[in-house]
Amino acid sequence: MKLTNISLLLFILTLISIGLALTFGAANISSTQLVQCLFSQCNSALNETILWQIRLPRVLVGFAAGAGLACAGAILQNTTRNPLADPYLFGIVSGAGLGATIASIGFNDQLNIALPLAAFLGALFSISIVFFIANFVQRIEQLLLAGVAISFMLGAITQFMLYIGEPLATNRVLFWLMGSLARVEMTQFYLIASVVIGAIIVILAYHQHIDALALGDENAISLGVNVNKLRLLMLALCAAITAVIVAYCGGIAFVGLMIPHIVRHYFGSSTLKLIIGSSFIGGCFLIWVDVIARSAVNNLELPIGIITSIIGSLFFLYIMLQGNRSHG
Amino acid sequence: MTKAEQTKTDQTKTDNTKTEDIRAVTQSPLLQINDLSWSVANKAILKQLSFNINTGEVVGIIGPNGAGKTSLLRCILQYINNYQGKICFKNQDIKSLSRQFIAQHVAVVNQINDPVFKLSVSDVVRMGLLPYKSLFASETKDDTQTIAQALAKTGLTALKNEEFTHLSGGEQQRVLIARALVQKADLLILDEPTNHLDVYYQHQILQLVNSLKLTVLMTIHDLNLANDYCSRLILLDHGKIIADGDNDQVLQPTLLSDVFGLPCQQITDPITNTQKVYFMATTQQNKVIHEAN
Repeated sequence: MKLTNISLLLFILTLISIGLALTFGAANISSTQLVQCLFSQCNSALNETILWQIRLPRVLVGFAAGAGLACAGAILQNTTRNPLADPYLFGIVSGAGLGATIASIGFNDQLNIALPLAAFLGALFSISIVFFIANFVQRIEQLLLAGVAISFMLGAITQFMLYIGEPLATNRVLFWLMGSLARVEMTQFYLIASVVIGAIIVILAYHQHIDALALGDENAISLGVNVNKLRLLMLALCAAITAVIVAYCGGIAFVGLMIPHIVRHYFGSSTLKLIIGSSFIGGCFLIWVDVIARSAVNNLELPIGIITSIIGSLFFLYIMLQGNRSHG
Repeated sequence: MTKAEQTKTDQTKTDNTKTEDIRAVTQSPLLQINDLSWSVANKAILKQLSFNINTGEVVGIIGPNGAGKTSLLRCILQYINNYQGKICFKNQDIKSLSRQFIAQHVAVVNQINDPVFKLSVSDVVRMGLLPYKSLFASETKDDTQTIAQALAKTGLTALKNEEFTHLSGGEQQRVLIARALVQKADLLILDEPTNHLDVYYQHQILQLVNSLKLTVLMTIHDLNLANDYCSRLILLDHGKIIADGDNDQVLQPTLLSDVFGLPCQQITDPITNTQKVYFMATTQQNKVIHEAN
């Protein structure tokens, strides 16, 4: 299928997903009322508030976060030639978790600002260590292993602080780590979307350079690519995307791993198609996960990180069994 | 002499000087290797190698395993750059040239491992455009035509939408040669292009390489194939040049016996009437294998 057709199809799918997702929630807003609210005047002030201040920011942040995480995963996989690479592997979420823990225990008063800021700084801290180590590694596999080691180290420090910390702060951090879009606002959408869109523009500019890496580093060098600089640039973009998403939405696992896997299957692995496919499908996926999170159980909002983890793990078991069947 | 005649004479002199300059450039070697040495952990891999590659030559680097053949290519391609000595391309130190410039003039057909992710034949051939493209440039009609011509020249048009990993070794080598054509390089470097290929594909690849009329530098294990398809050979052993010259000069049985450690004979092929080298396995080899077991 041609890239323009794929993009058009996915764009329509996204518009439908956003429109339908806006009708789900505790308050009953019909599709007719929704169309009225969106394109002319709401019939009640309550509906207007619910739609513009609660549901729309939530759906849009869900889309931006899903698109960002899926793109970050896709680009890490292509630049490291490892189908299991994921933003979580580089310790970004563990760093954010440590930052959130320190904020919860130390800055109880201004937690609304302190928690996302500390999470962002924590994510940057962990990725800085990975960058520092990247100067000394010979092979890309060593960089991935370094990321896993840092992830466990920061995770252990977080758990120790939670163990000795007060129960209220511990609860807060644990809930935050499970991921949620419940408290997002429109300003956060602007911030997340600008980081994600900016990063995607840079990634698309380098899409052919990233493709050249597929046949090996030396192959890319012979085509004029500065491999080390390209890999560090892509790692920095993924870190920025993940840090800003984790800071406001908490831990959302598996999106960066699962979505690129699906997109590769249907559209191929060239970076251009992969990034366009991952942005739309990742975004729509998180919109619908959030719909499940707020409507699966009456009067109870489920953390989206739990749902993505369940879907993701089942998906990988399915892929593994399919693979066995096709090889057997 | 009138002023007009004087001007004309001056102009002729200038033109002659320009022509001589151009000739000097075109006649100077495309690639010059001067006193090249490289070592790893105090072990010398390449020892003071010096040779030139002229435009139009098809040069084969031969030698036993560990002779330094691939290391030499890796230095030329700047995968290794902590070597001593100088490598000049078109009279300029290759270290002073940008990666992009090198990629526009030197194409490589490497030994490749299967890529982890799916790429089509067209995707791989299209990579040859990379050295010429700025970041946001899209593919032009000329680019599409260049790709189509490269695919046609390498007999890959019917396979352009196939997955690269699904192709045979010979077909994958052809894809990389098609990519090299899109790169429009002056020098084609091939690292063991016939490795893992059956006899049919070995000849097909080397015939294709020869038909491109490019300057070629390749490492090659099969000495008879090297003799058939190269215009000049360089014999390496323990990082040193043992012989460099016409094929007949280099493929001397005594020389090859010393380098490869096996008795060697040269025989004339009764059908093609060309010289072939033939090695004989020794009982000493079998003895070593038995002792190892």
